[in-house]
Amino acid sequence: MASGMQEKQYTPSLLNFFVYNPTFGQKEGEEEKKILFYHPSDVEKNEKIRNVGLCEAIVQFTRTFCPTKPAKSLHTQKNRQFFFEPEDNFWIVMVVRNPMIEKPNKDGKPPTVEYQEEEIIDPLLTLITFLVLQLFNGTFGRQMEAGGVELLIQKLEKFFYRYLQTLHLQSCDLLDVFGGISFFPLDKMTYLKIQSFVNRVEESLSLIKYTAFLYNDQLIWSGLEQDDMRILYKYLTTSLFPRHSEPELAGRDSPLRPEVAGNLLHYGRFLTGPTNLKDPEAKFRFPKIFVSTEDGYEELHLIVYKAMSAAACFMISASVELTRDFCEQLDGLVGPQLTLLASDICEQFTVNRRISGPEKEPQFKFIYFNHMNLAEKSTIHMRKTASVCLTSVHPDLMKILGDINCDFARVDEDEEIIVKAMTDYWVVGKKSDQRELYVILNQKNANLIEVNEEVKRLCATQFNNIFFLD
Amino acid sequence: KVQLRTATYIRYKANSECQNNVSSPTLDKETEDAATDNDRSDSGEFVVTMLAKAKLEEQGIGVKGRSSPLLEVGTQETPAFISHRDEDVTAESWRQHRKHVFVLSEAGKPIYSRYGSEEALSSTMGVMMALVSFVQSGDNIIRSEHIVVFLQKGPLVLVCVSSSRQTEQQLRGELLYVYYQIISMLTQASISRIFEHKKNYDLRRLLAGSEKILDGLLNLLDSDPSFLLAAVHCLPLACSLRDSLSQILQKAITPNLVFSILIARNQLLTIVQEKTVIEDARLEPADVHLLLNLIGASSAFQAGEIWTPICLPLFNPDCYFYAYISYLDPPECTVCLLLLSTDKEAFYAVAECKRKIEEAMMAQNSLSLIAKVQSYSVSQVGVSDLRHFMYKPFDVPDNYRHEEEKMRLLDLYRYMHNRIHSTSRPLKLIYHVAERETLLAWVTSKFELYTCFSPLVTKACAITAITKLLRWIKKEEDRLFIRYPPKYSTTPNPSKSSRGGKSDQQDSTDNGFLSLL
Repeated sequence: MASGMQEKQYTPSLLNFFVYNPTFGQKEGEEEKKILFYHPSDVEKNEKIRNVGLCEAIVQFTRTFCPTKPAKSLHTQKNRQFFFEPEDNFWIVMVVRNPMIEKPNKDGKPPTVEYQEEEIIDPLLTLITFLVLQLFNGTFGRQMEAGGVELLIQKLEKFFYRYLQTLHLQSCDLLDVFGGISFFPLDKMTYLKIQSFVNRVEESLSLIKYTAFLYNDQLIWSGLEQDDMRILYKYLTTSLFPRHSEPELAGRDSPLRPEVAGNLLHYGRFLTGPTNLKDPEAKFRFPKIFVSTEDGYEELHLIVYKAMSAAACFMISASVELTRDFCEQLDGLVGPQLTLLASDICEQFTVNRRISGPEKEPQFKFIYFNHMNLAEKSTIHMRKTASVCLTSVHPDLMKILGDINCDFARVDEDEEIIVKAMTDYWVVGKKSDQRELYVILNQKNANLIEVNEEVKRLCATQFNNIFFLD
Repeated sequence: KVQLRTATYIRYKANSECQNNVSSPTLDKETEDAATDNDRSDSGEFVVTMLAKAKLEEQGIGVKGRSSPLLEVGTQETPAFISHRDEDVTAESWRQHRKHVFVLSEAGKPIYSRYGSEEALSSTMGVMMALVSFVQSGDNIIRSEHIVVFLQKGPLVLVCVSSSRQTEQQLRGELLYVYYQIISMLTQASISRIFEHKKNYDLRRLLAGSEKILDGLLNLLDSDPSFLLAAVHCLPLACSLRDSLSQILQKAITPNLVFSILIARNQLLTIVQEKTVIEDARLEPADVHLLLNLIGASSAFQAGEIWTPICLPLFNPDCYFYAYISYLDPPECTVCLLLLSTDKEAFYAVAECKRKIEEAMMAQNSLSLIAKVQSYSVSQVGVSDLRHFMYKPFDVPDNYRHEEEKMRLLDLYRYMHNRIHSTSRPLKLIYHVAERETLLAWVTSKFELYTCFSPLVTKACAITAITKLLRWIKKEEDRLFIRYPPKYSTTPNPSKSSRGGKSDQQDSTDNGFLSLL
């Protein structure tokens, strides 16, 4: 008799994550030395060695056919593994369980499990993981120089412990592939105000080398190199800001509310570094990041200072020791100004929204990305954080977007792909001169020509002079 | 002067599990080459493919001086084939092959390799085996610059290493074809039994000489889109000609004859099948592909008549049919007659059918009519912007004559096919504007169409072209496709009419030849 149970859907999940270097334990009996980090850590030692050994074997095997470009991934029915060698002989491997559907069986039999093969974005996650790792620790090579294997292992342990918690595989989609940055739209006046704020601070506190300004998880200004900013942005929006957002949302009497003890002049506070300036005994440190320069990299302190929804990042050379006095100076200088700016921006934003009308279902559902400035825009995502991805279209359509993106990535030339899905939705992808646009149209009875006209209209209004194909 | 290496002799004993009333063949042993005598090491029963040249002669089958068809390894091999076997597996050129295929047994024993000899590759194969056993069971894939696809079928493991940018489903499909071709020579039941009996049996002993057939299959898989579309290439014939040929075949029957097939230039002319025993079961396109490959791969078929056991894996993987193969127009050898019977002893009866067929065709002058038939070209369709299309038959226009371009075009079609038939997110239509061409693929419940245009074509033009094309195809339908294979009955009771033809069929949707029309 029917048990009334539903099908259960399991999203992809992280099974294993490890880092190894095959040159470290080449002698018989010393294989464990190869493993620099392994998650989950409670797995038996021999199994760890075996899994690492399998990866090595696969890489070796594929080298038989192409010595320069070995294996990238292994797909089995139940899971998939991704291999990434960011530096010579240092390997990062991620094992993900395939999404599956569990269908209940009658008569008390165990439920049947159906695994779903999918093309997913996961390979990028290993790259992004490495880049974030590199941001905070420098390259593997450098770490080895600095403290040898033991220190490296410690640092990896510390880093991944926190970072892996922020990996949410089920909410990854095309936007993650782009690794773009969401820019906050501003009017000229407010933008200038922010510019002059940044200039003032940099002049008063000459130690500051680079600054970045964000509002509401979106970027407004950055003095960093684009590639570095991209990763920093990812870290800020997926790790740091979410960790610190709860207290701000807490009610007035909530114990979570930060101590604003005595400082009623502004709402600014440090997100990294000293949590309580009033306490002279409290120790603090700023996280250090490594950004690239012309001839290598430089190490910087990362100061993230927030006031309401505005956040400013200040980067100072790591060779300088940052004292409590300095922090107080910064707090005094930046706090009031940032608070003011934050409320200005907020006001402007509200005014603009009132002008443009209430937010309704956008006319066109599209995703736009510009490879040159990393700007991304999506009218499909209603909410996208690290752990949640809410879109107004069916996930299968998002996957089709992913497929089209894959096809575009294969060649450098401009292309256009139009497909009609089984549900009669039309998906149009255009790639032109480093920009990509994906449009989803729900026009069941339209034909190719009509769809083409619709998209042309969209391009004419929003992307004038960008997409030239017929 | 034809120098023949000794073909492997085989002897087979009763195959008691076989259905379909195939009588147990018990040819006596006649070994010339003791080294290939499998018998001594194995006790018990096993079934193995037959090919004894002397045997044939002894029974008066076949023509003297000819070796057996299936495993002939004479010097009729082209030099290219020979060099593949001896290729240096450490050389860069070996690595650069577009697609490697390996077959090994579960125990890691090499069976076949497309490039390079199995001996030289035994260590690589050992690694592959280790990988397969290490990783969980099921089908596994490794992605790198190449894709490595593993497929395990029973005691055989097939591996493909490909840089052709095909998807794993497509590659797995190709490996499946290789597996089926091996089955077609040995049957699945016998392979299972052999390995059950002896896990590290060296299957090459039974397949010696068949590398050419597998090589041929792999080349076809690369270049012939009919595999991709799971459809059989039919020679476009005027309806009347095809009907007349079908009728000739229908009349020349004998008990236990199940399929009669006429092939010209590797394309199907007509196929008729027995009605009562087989009923509505049909030959899958894959079986037909395997048959066509078998016939095409070996030029030994070109002389005289061949009588050989063959298994049709999708029809029944555990049993043999007996195939009578003969070209009707030596020495050009473009038209081939294939008669399949379930009776091993029926050679003479079947040969008699062939003579009847030959006579009738002579009377109707069929051969010369067939010779005149041409595959049509795009220009016939009369659509100016259309460069190329694939709607079952494959047409090759000028810009794609060059081999590489052909391959590239086929790759493009494969990519579209994969997207359209994706298991998780299939599509109805793809319109892809790229640098060198514009592609349009369209699937409906009635057909599947892949077309290629110049890159500058406008959408309006493309749609018009497609409409014209579809109209033309509809008009020429009867000439281009075989929809309903006619039938006959070989049972003594002729009350079931063997008229065959269109009136017998209600539903064409599951027709193996036109998979989607």
